[in-house]
Amino acid sequence: MNKVIKLHLHDRYPELGKGPVPVEPYISTAYYDKEQARIFKKTWLHVGRVEEIPAAGDYFVKDLEACEASIIVVRDKQGAINAMHNVCSHRMNQIVYEKRGQARKFFCKFHGWAYDLQGNLTGVPEEGSFFDLDKCDHGLSRVACEVWQGFIFINLDPTPELSLAQFLQPMFGDIEGYPFDKITTGFQWTTVVNCNWKLALDAFQEAYHVAYVHGHSIADAIDTAEDGAMPPLDALCGQFHRRLSIAGNPKSVYGNPNAVTAGGAEASKAIADSAVKKPIAAAALRAGMGAASYHFRKEDLPKGMNWTGHENWLFDINVVFPDFYLSLRPNYFQAYNFRPISQGKTLLEARVYYPEMKTAGGRFYLEYMKVALRDVLLEDLSTLERTQSAVQTGVKKEMILQDYELLVRHGAHVVDRIVNEETKA
Amino acid sequence: MNSPQPASPQSAITLPAGFAHLMPFSHWSLATETERTRMRNTSAFADIVAFKDAMLADVDAIVAYLNGFELDAMPPPEAALMYMLLSLAEVAPAVEAYQQPGVIDGYEFSRFVADEKFVMRPPI
Repeated sequence: MNKVIKLHLHDRYPELGKGPVPVEPYISTAYYDKEQARIFKKTWLHVGRVEEIPAAGDYFVKDLEACEASIIVVRDKQGAINAMHNVCSHRMNQIVYEKRGQARKFFCKFHGWAYDLQGNLTGVPEEGSFFDLDKCDHGLSRVACEVWQGFIFINLDPTPELSLAQFLQPMFGDIEGYPFDKITTGFQWTTVVNCNWKLALDAFQEAYHVAYVHGHSIADAIDTAEDGAMPPLDALCGQFHRRLSIAGNPKSVYGNPNAVTAGGAEASKAIADSAVKKPIAAAALRAGMGAASYHFRKEDLPKGMNWTGHENWLFDINVVFPDFYLSLRPNYFQAYNFRPISQGKTLLEARVYYPEMKTAGGRFYLEYMKVALRDVLLEDLSTLERTQSAVQTGVKKEMILQDYELLVRHGAHVVDRIVNEETKA
Repeated sequence: MNSPQPASPQSAITLPAGFAHLMPFSHWSLATETERTRMRNTSAFADIVAFKDAMLADVDAIVAYLNGFELDAMPPPEAALMYMLLSLAEVAPAVEAYQQPGVIDGYEFSRFVADEKFVMRPPI
């Protein structure tokens, strides 16, 4: 609207510069080796939600190629969540073969060594035939494991430089209190994409692409300026993490998720406009109203959400360094991990969480929202392998970023800073 | 509770009495997202539109009827109708965004795998 004074988000972060950004980090194996050693083996990594393992003995296993590790995450009898390497202390066999399950103890299938839910060695067949074996010295190798707002993080560094709270709170302390524990119906998709993990994450760190990649689907759900641009409301960059706040179009069902739980005027705005153009969307919203198990109110959200206080606020993108994308809406959230398998291969685990719906109509609404999101993801993913192939031609050495792609620049900057820190091994 | 009820063989599907007229579309009664997505992406667009038209004409009545049943304890005919309602959501982007069965220029749908056993998924 106001073209007189153009303030750039970049002006707040002069250390990031405004120039072209090298693409070598997307294609260099030597660079990836350093990322593995200096980032993925040294940083808190998101592995799941506490609701996945509600009872003592519930566990899941994460294979983290980026760390060359397989990690068991388990809830013990005291209710604490522990993480340990999936490697027997005897002759190294993997203790757990299943990806998820329930155990009273872990028994190695090779020679029957037994471990409790904290990883202590509790049983050794033919123990008397070993030589001065002290079971206390031979538990499973524990891995740092902490929980923030119900998200489980692990850290392969035996002595993490920062606690999880110290790592997260400078950027995300004021979104603590978001009702994660009320949003407990989840869906997950997985795919292995043949591209570098940063290239995949970058496609989700800006809204500049929305008018093009999502031109057929949800572009109408994003708030547009007079010139058709979709500027973010604001962006924040920290030592590791970054945030972007996005406005929505309250006249669309997808762009006004608040309508289903707020009802009233919010819902009638979205239904009236959609009834003709998108009758299934309107039907889903009518079906979903009042079906949620919990009443969400924008004014109950923590102050760090919609931090500009915009009336058409739709969602905040939170990128938790290095590879965790957490998008928070008034009443649902998305959690994506872009986890490297190798330099040019990325495992995307994409999850979306909604409030539990008590009725068939509410379930229909969730399916509408979930399918719309999934198809949007298929659009987002459509460019990744093509972009990776294009980078690998070597024709272009740098990418050019506009102001609203600040998070892409910040992501590259933070990775590069840590990769090049000589003091770290 | 967490695993979807197995879909009935198509020949065995019955719909609740008030919705028997939707039987010609009972091949859309599919218990998982994986099956519904495959059906959408392998159907002719005209068939998708015909299914959508039939369902949309009755959608408010279907929702009102199914709201009378618990999601985790639906009898087979009601579950069969519920799966058709979820298929209507599945085809929504095809008819309301893309005007074709699949996502325009989209990533291959079969490579984006829905985890049908995810522990936090809903009962149906």
